[in-house]
Amino acid sequence: MRPQVEYLYRLAWRFTGSVADAEDLVQDVLLKLYPRTRQLVDIEQLRPWLARVLYREYVDLVRQRARSPIADLAADAEGEDNPLDTLPAIKDGPEEHAERSGLRERILCALDRLNPEQRAVVTMHDVEGYSLEELETILETPLGTLKSRLHRARRRLRALLSVEPFSAGERVNG
Amino acid sequence: MECRDFTPQLDDCLDGRLDAAARRSIQEHLERCPDCRRLHQHAVALRAALRTLPAPTPRQGFVDQALSRATGAAAGAVRTPRRGALGMALAASLVLGVAVGVFLVTRAAPVQTVALTLERPETVRLMFNSAKPLQAATLSLALPGNVELVGYGDRRELSWQTDLREGGNLLQLPLVAHGTAKDELVARLSHGGSSKTFRLKIEIKNAGGMGMSPVGIAELAVQPQSGDMS
Repeated sequence: MRPQVEYLYRLAWRFTGSVADAEDLVQDVLLKLYPRTRQLVDIEQLRPWLARVLYREYVDLVRQRARSPIADLAADAEGEDNPLDTLPAIKDGPEEHAERSGLRERILCALDRLNPEQRAVVTMHDVEGYSLEELETILETPLGTLKSRLHRARRRLRALLSVEPFSAGERVNG
Repeated sequence: MECRDFTPQLDDCLDGRLDAAARRSIQEHLERCPDCRRLHQHAVALRAALRTLPAPTPRQGFVDQALSRATGAAAGAVRTPRRGALGMALAASLVLGVAVGVFLVTRAAPVQTVALTLERPETVRLMFNSAKPLQAATLSLALPGNVELVGYGDRRELSWQTDLREGGNLLQLPLVAHGTAKDELVARLSHGGSSKTFRLKIEIKNAGGMGMSPVGIAELAVQPQSGDMS
């Protein structure tokens, strides 16, 4: 599993935009998969398969939060895993903001404004490069629905970014 | 082709899902329509920027730690607490902590002020550290008029019924400020006939400023057994 952890982390971060959430998602996926590591050897397309498992965890997380604004936390306030000590919020603070600049920061802020389903399809398709046909399997969503979500996500991103249009100097070739 | 025909085909155009005739038709339209050409250029530039959007690598030690926990849990030997920071798809976060339950002692409480940046989503986190489980507590929020809870539109009064576990319970508030006036966010936690009101000062800065001020973890103590302690 070790070679896949960074890949899982990258996807998790793209889904959530949060270091802490990405770590939680990856940890949850590893906990689920570790007892089945021998079965993973037989999976031909391992990364799309892992992406699907991760996306399911992400959907569960979103649903869990929709039910209650209060998140579960470890109750151990004295141990080394005291959540108050490990909250990444401090790390995610001004320094991280300062690192985001220009176009990239505006895009990340705009992605934050998408709903989770839109964010998932636009990051998997436009950022990670998966085809819509591949995403039918990974996101377990029909092609028509994916196209609709992608259309709305892109339109929303363009609207959010249209206040300050792309200038020639900021464009990223690719 | 007319403009109304071009827009629905923009996504297929970006994704290379059009046949040669459709591509040619769009190309001809773009050559004579500056509005659609601008839209197309914007969409292409956005797509290119997304394709090269970087992602962070895991912090040092995370991979080993995560694998160790997974193997330990499989062996039944290691408890695997969540970090639980839950910054839901937002760019940055602040943390405040409040304690509820039967604590009598208060630690020095830093000024509970958070700084938001105008029109930038930020997560403000309130940590409710409860000394005992609280079933069916009611949490109410009153937001300043110029601050939106993401996903709730114009609603400024919100209320949930929720259970608090013993220990840390995290309330995350994805907020976006739409004006620069200073104001207060009021969170009220009620349980068993008693309640506690927490007030959070919000300062809002323009995007061109220095960004957020670092905010530490503040703790307040409350005894929820009697009356309104706000």
